Amino acid sequence: MSNVTFDADGITLEQVREYVWEIPQEGDMRVPARVLASEALLEEIKEDKTLEQITNTTHLPGITTNAICMPDGHQGYGFPVGGVGALDAEHGCLSPGAVGYDINCGVRMMRTNLTYDELKGQEAELVDALFANIPSGLGGGGVVEVGVDTVDEILARGVDWALENGHAVEEDLLHCEDEGMREGADPEKVSQKAKDRGKNQIGSLGSGNHFLEVQRVTDVFDDEVGEAFGLEEDQIVVLIHCGSRGLGHQTCNDYLRKIEQQHQGLLDQLPDKELAAAPAGSQLAEDYYGAMNAAINFAWVNRQLIMHRTRQVFERVFDRSWESMDMHLLYDVAHNIAKKEMHTVEGEERELYVHRKGATRAFPAGHPEVPKAYRDVGQPVIIPGSMGTGSYVLRGGENSMDLTFGSTAHGAGRLMSRTQAKNEFWGGDVQDELEEQEQIYVKAQSGATVAEEAPGVYKDVDEVVRVSDELGIGDKVARTFPVCNIKG
Amino acid sequence: MGFELRDHTADIAVEATGESLADVFASLADGLAAASCEDIPADTGERFSLSVTAENREALLFDYLDELIYLRDVRAELPVDHHVETIDGVDADADAATDVSANPATEQWSLTATARGIPLTEIDAREVKAVTYSEMQLEYVDEQWEAYVVFDV
Repeated sequence: MSNVTFDADGITLEQVREYVWEIPQEGDMRVPARVLASEALLEEIKEDKTLEQITNTTHLPGITTNAICMPDGHQGYGFPVGGVGALDAEHGCLSPGAVGYDINCGVRMMRTNLTYDELKGQEAELVDALFANIPSGLGGGGVVEVGVDTVDEILARGVDWALENGHAVEEDLLHCEDEGMREGADPEKVSQKAKDRGKNQIGSLGSGNHFLEVQRVTDVFDDEVGEAFGLEEDQIVVLIHCGSRGLGHQTCNDYLRKIEQQHQGLLDQLPDKELAAAPAGSQLAEDYYGAMNAAINFAWVNRQLIMHRTRQVFERVFDRSWESMDMHLLYDVAHNIAKKEMHTVEGEERELYVHRKGATRAFPAGHPEVPKAYRDVGQPVIIPGSMGTGSYVLRGGENSMDLTFGSTAHGAGRLMSRTQAKNEFWGGDVQDELEEQEQIYVKAQSGATVAEEAPGVYKDVDEVVRVSDELGIGDKVARTFPVCNIKG
Repeated sequence: MGFELRDHTADIAVEATGESLADVFASLADGLAAASCEDIPADTGERFSLSVTAENREALLFDYLDELIYLRDVRAELPVDHHVETIDGVDADADAATDVSANPATEQWSLTATARGIPLTEIDAREVKAVTYSEMQLEYVDEQWEAYVVFDV
C-alpha cells in the first residue's frame, strides 16, 4: 500500500497501486472494497453514492477478497452499476439485487465485410430501414410474438430454439457465451406474470440506453488479436445493446419480494434492502438461479432475433445475401449476471457466485470457458460508448483473474441524470448536430430519449478503457465510431 | 400535494405528498406515468380497476407500482389518472408513529384502485423497467404523507 490517499467527502480511499484504490474494512464490512480508477474517474465516481454502495456490498455474507467497482462505476440501487462481487457458492449467498433488474442486459457485435466507403450515401436509407424493422420503444412488439409454451422453450433452450426456428445459424452459437444456452435454466421458476410480459417482446430493443448501432472500425490497436476477431480498419460492424425486457425485470422483482418474505433475517443484516440476497443452498437461491438462467437465455434469444432481422434489413438495402456480406456474430457479452464459477482464492480453488452488474466477464487467453475460436487470444469484450463517441472491443486481460474475478468495465457510465440531460439538451438539436458534424444518423421513437442519451451525459469512455488496458484486465483491441443509431 | 420528478444518476425518482395514504400512493403512480410520457392526452383510453395485497405498507406500495408496470406491458396501455379507492391494513391512515404492528410479516394489507389506460400506440412513451426499494421513503410527517421512490429506467 502506498501512502497516497483520496478523500471523497468523508470516505478515504487508500492507493494500493496505480489505478487500484481501497476502502479499508471497518464496522460490519466483511472485506475491504476496491475501486479501479484513475484520479480523474474517481473525481466523477465520488459525486454520487457509488462509493457508499460498493462499501455496502461488502456486508453480503460470503463476499470474497473484495467488492470491486469498475472504472465506469456509478450509482445504482443497492449494488452500484459497475460492481463485481464474488460470493461463496456454499456459505455465501445469491443476490438478485446484485444482478439487477435487466437480467443479462448485454451487448453483441456482428461483423460485416462492407467498408465505410461502400456504405456512404446510404446511411439515411439504412437507418430508416432498421428503424422500421427492428421493434423498439414501449409497446412496439417483438420480431416474433408467441404463446407461453414457446416462451418456456426459449427459457429452457436459449439460442438453440432460435436455430431450430430459422433465426440463427450454427456458427452464431459458437460465438456466444455458453453457446447461447445457460445450463440449469428452469422455466418453471419464472412467474406467469414475467412470461406474460415477455411473450410479446421477443426480439425488441426496448428504450432507455438500449440501441442498435451500425459502426465503422476506426482503429485496430492489436493486429494479431484484431485478426483473430476478424476486425480491420474501415470495416462496418453492428452493435446491439439490450436485455431480457419485461420478463427479466419482473423476475428480479418477484425474487426481491420473496427474499423479503422468506429471509428477513438476512435482509435485516444488510444496509440496503436492494442488496436482498438468498442464502446459498436455500430453496430460494436454487429457484432464483434457475429463473435467472432462464432469463439469461431469453435475453440471448432477444439479441439473436434482432441480429438476424438486421441481416435481412442489410440484404434489402444492399441487395445481396447476408452471407455474401459475411455478417457473422463476433461475440455476445452479458453485463448483468451472476454465474457459478471456479476461482483461485489464496491458492485454493473455490466455487463462487460471481455477480457482475454493469460489468463484463473478461477471461484471458487459455481460459477453458473462452470459446475455442478465441481461446488463444482471450475473450472478446465489447464496451459501448455513447452515440457520439466511439465504442471499444477489448480482450480479456491476463490480470483479470487476479484483480477482478475475470471482469472489466461495461460502458462509459452515466455522468448526468436524465432530468438534467433534458434540461441541457434538446433531442432535435442533438440529432441534427450528430448528422451535420459527425455524419452519424440517429433515429429514435422519442426526442426525449435522444436528449437523455446525448453524448455529454456519459463519462469519457476513452479514459475508462485506458484504465482497463493499463491494469491488464481488458486490453484494447479496436475502436469503432457510430454511423447509424436507432433507439426506443 | 402531488408529485415531482427528482434527479438520479441512472434512474428516475418520484417524490410525492398526500393528505391520506391513498392520495400519496396515487400521486406516486401519477409520477410514474409522467416519467414514462411527457405529453399525456387528456381524454383517450378506458378506465380499469386493479387490486393488490401485501404484508406491510411499503410492500403494498411496491406491489401496487409493480402491478401498474406489469399491466402496462400486458395491456399495452400506459396507466394514467390514478385513483386509489381503498387501502385496508393496520391503522392504514393513521400517522406512522402509532402504527407499530407486532408481526408485520403476517399482516395483510390490501388496496383497490382505478386508472385510465392509454393505448401505447397513441403516445410516445418510454419504458420504466421496474420499481425499486432503493432509498424508498413512506412517512407521515407534519400531518401529511411523504414518499420517495426510485424507478429503474
